[in-house]
Amino acid sequence: MTRSLRAVAAAAIALCAAPAAAQEPAASSGTTFAITGARIVTLAGPVIDRGTIVMRDGRIVAVGPDVSPPEGATVVDGTGLHVYPGFFDSASQLGLTEIGSVAATNDFAEAGDMNPQVVAIAAVHPSSDHLPVARANGITHAIALPARLGGGGGGAAPAIIGGQASAFSLAGWTVEEMVMAPSVGTVVVWPTLATRGFDPATSSPRQRPFDEVKQEYEKKVASLEAILDAARRYREAAGGQAASGVRDLKLEALGPVVSGARPLLVYANAERDIRNALAFTAREGVSMVLLGGDESWRLARELAARAVPVILGPTQALPVRADDPYDTPYARAGMLREAGVEVAIASFNSADSRNLPYEAGHAVGYGLAWEDALRAITIVPAEILGLAGEVGTIEPNKRANLVVTDGDPLEIRTAVMHVFVNGVPQSLSTRHTRLYETYRARE
Amino acid sequence: MLPFVRRVCLVAGVLALTATSRPSAEAPRSFALTNVRIVPVSAPVIERGTVVVVDGLISAVGPSVAVPAGVWRLDGDGATVYPGLFDALSEVALPASASSTAAAPRAAGGGAQPPSAPVARGPGDRPASTPWEHAADALRPDDPRIETWRSGGFTTAMVAPRRGLLPGQGAVINLAGERAGEMVVRTPAAFLMTFDAGGGFRSFPGSLMGAISYLRQVHLDADHAAAAEEAYAQGARGRARPEYDRTVRAVHESRAARRLTLVPAVTAAQVARAVRLGREMQVSVGVYGAHEGYAAAPLLERADVPVLVSAKWPEPGRDADPEADQPLRVLRLRDKAPSTPAALAAAGVRFAFYSDGLGGPADMLAGVRRAIEAGLSRETAVRALTLTPAEIFGIDDRLGSIEPGKIANLVVVRGDLLDKDATVTHVFVDGLVHEVKARAGQKGRDARPDRRPTRTTPAEGATEGGAR
Repeated sequence: MTRSLRAVAAAAIALCAAPAAAQEPAASSGTTFAITGARIVTLAGPVIDRGTIVMRDGRIVAVGPDVSPPEGATVVDGTGLHVYPGFFDSASQLGLTEIGSVAATNDFAEAGDMNPQVVAIAAVHPSSDHLPVARANGITHAIALPARLGGGGGGAAPAIIGGQASAFSLAGWTVEEMVMAPSVGTVVVWPTLATRGFDPATSSPRQRPFDEVKQEYEKKVASLEAILDAARRYREAAGGQAASGVRDLKLEALGPVVSGARPLLVYANAERDIRNALAFTAREGVSMVLLGGDESWRLARELAARAVPVILGPTQALPVRADDPYDTPYARAGMLREAGVEVAIASFNSADSRNLPYEAGHAVGYGLAWEDALRAITIVPAEILGLAGEVGTIEPNKRANLVVTDGDPLEIRTAVMHVFVNGVPQSLSTRHTRLYETYRARE
Repeated sequence: MLPFVRRVCLVAGVLALTATSRPSAEAPRSFALTNVRIVPVSAPVIERGTVVVVDGLISAVGPSVAVPAGVWRLDGDGATVYPGLFDALSEVALPASASSTAAAPRAAGGGAQPPSAPVARGPGDRPASTPWEHAADALRPDDPRIETWRSGGFTTAMVAPRRGLLPGQGAVINLAGERAGEMVVRTPAAFLMTFDAGGGFRSFPGSLMGAISYLRQVHLDADHAAAAEEAYAQGARGRARPEYDRTVRAVHESRAARRLTLVPAVTAAQVARAVRLGREMQVSVGVYGAHEGYAAAPLLERADVPVLVSAKWPEPGRDADPEADQPLRVLRLRDKAPSTPAALAAAGVRFAFYSDGLGGPADMLAGVRRAIEAGLSRETAVRALTLTPAEIFGIDDRLGSIEPGKIANLVVVRGDLLDKDATVTHVFVDGLVHEVKARAGQKGRDARPDRRPTRTTPAEGATEGGAR
């Protein structure tokens, strides 16, 4: 490369870097913010028609109709606007994948079948372009799932234990700034019995005998049972400490699961898989959260009876079976809720995380109460994953993760006016808006 | 066994020829079958009569015909004689590599696409095309399946290669013979065409649209090549030499001979496509598979397209997931497919049954019984196993019914052929009697063929909702 070319390249890098830096959050802890005169949907009590929220050091310190902003606070005039708890994408691949078809940008799955020691937050990329995009639509915190989702078919079979799912804020320069909880549970991708597959050798569909598939499945379940059993013995023998001096990070990582402190987050979609997973966790005496749950509505009563909560995948999806009604994916959240199941809705994605409020909104037209839809992307997942003390409602002492809109946030025409993450207002500029401006300016 | 003993048996008046598995030279090719109920198919049933066979051909049939001097007299003891049964599309006597369902995927390319074959890039590579191959040239008289089928009353089959887009040409054979040549009744009897190149998506054509465009191109090339060769033959001087292309030549010859072109078609849409393509390519088309024929009968009648109905009705595979989604579309086809023969009969469509990879004659006749339960008359069912396939393949002048002058392919049955507990006692092929092996193909279901790696053909794929 010649000297002049190098100079041009350096200039180009500087140009690219400048706008990117500009949109990163201002690191301004210690600042007090207040939103005044807004309609506040706290989800912790009745709606406050006209009230004020005060935030300091990242937390909500006061909320109510009679609260006034303290001296020196930066005040956002919320007149005519609506404030909601920041949305929680409780099952996502945010930060773990940038472009699915570019392998180098995918970092959501480890090799091998059993990776309980792997923690997703370690792989979250703070500069992912998807984070500002999701954030600008009101998603203030998310779970990163370490798992290859939607396995089967072609490609490598997904790991059975993908790793530990992590909760993090969608703002921060580093992972350390962003992390809320390194582990909210251990992800299990339930092995599925798929006789129909793809043969890469002949590049054609292939049908496998059911017996063979079933044997393979039973082996996988047995191996899952074995590792939980080993974790139990490890825990008893070591009492959490390694008496022998030999530590096994895998078995150690499963300690909170076998002790019941943290749930297994079981990703399963087909009715049979869900049924099998329910039976397995009952047998093992571990607590379970169902992830995905395409056909969970078929087992709504069982899920309610077992008090197994469900983090549903997107409503914008096709029915699973050829003869399912077209609206099954829209209606399943409502059907589960009606049966008394705790329902959260999540994107299971990174680029599409921004659509989370609409995924919930679509369920409202098909049997889910509006407030339940809002709760499905705020407080319910927080409760399911043990984060209700931190996020999910607008209450003093919780993280000041807020979204301010000009209307119903589940409605696609509503605009997001302000987003606060950890008490700091966020830039709403994203890669999308930058591209929009770039091409709008084109002569 | 000594001929003397055999004679004693006959004299005893019981039709109990215990021939060796191969008829010996002494076995008569001239005989009179007396005291039998005769179902000639081409004429009304004769409740009690005689069939006279001379030198392997039927010479007389009737309630009271004179038995010529010197022929053996076989007392049928009230059994029923039918024309030998005809499997309208089979792979019996063909080596595994030439057939479709028996071949492991890719392992045997039937000459079309062996694993080492270069990947085809376009129609010029003539992918998966072996239309010059003749089933008659690949026959294996020692194939043990021949005896299995024959023991169940099947004396005749149209055998054809089925792998590739232009797999080759079929032959009607008799299911007995020491040498391939003596088995052949007519060759070529049909020209095969499919839409599955079987090479995955890496090799052209990897899609249905590619396959159809290729077949179109080959037929256009056939027109052009024929004209060019004709012109060149008239005067070569000053003319570019036309290229020799055996694919195109075989297509042209087959079309010029108005040979029946058999195309797989399971659903009504596939039937309509086959009819349209046949018209466009100016070939006379027959379809095979046809499980959704119940929805295509009027179309088939209008287009005068003969149909080979697979007697292997769609059902979930033995290896299938018992909890797999069963879409209504699949359940409906499973339920209604056996009504196809009745619907075709009602519409006046010519149809015959074929085995479609079923293990043996008992399974095939069980399939035919299901068609009868679904409304097909027994008479039409018997016709679809005898005379109609002979008509479809243009050999009804030589077999398919019990008439003077026809080949003496006969099956003698205790009870009604299509009853579950019917027993085939004797099978005559070309006038030679064949031993019926101990109920091999008679009671219950046939022995299952070996479990093989499953790979759905387009026809099966469509029935069970598979790919394509």
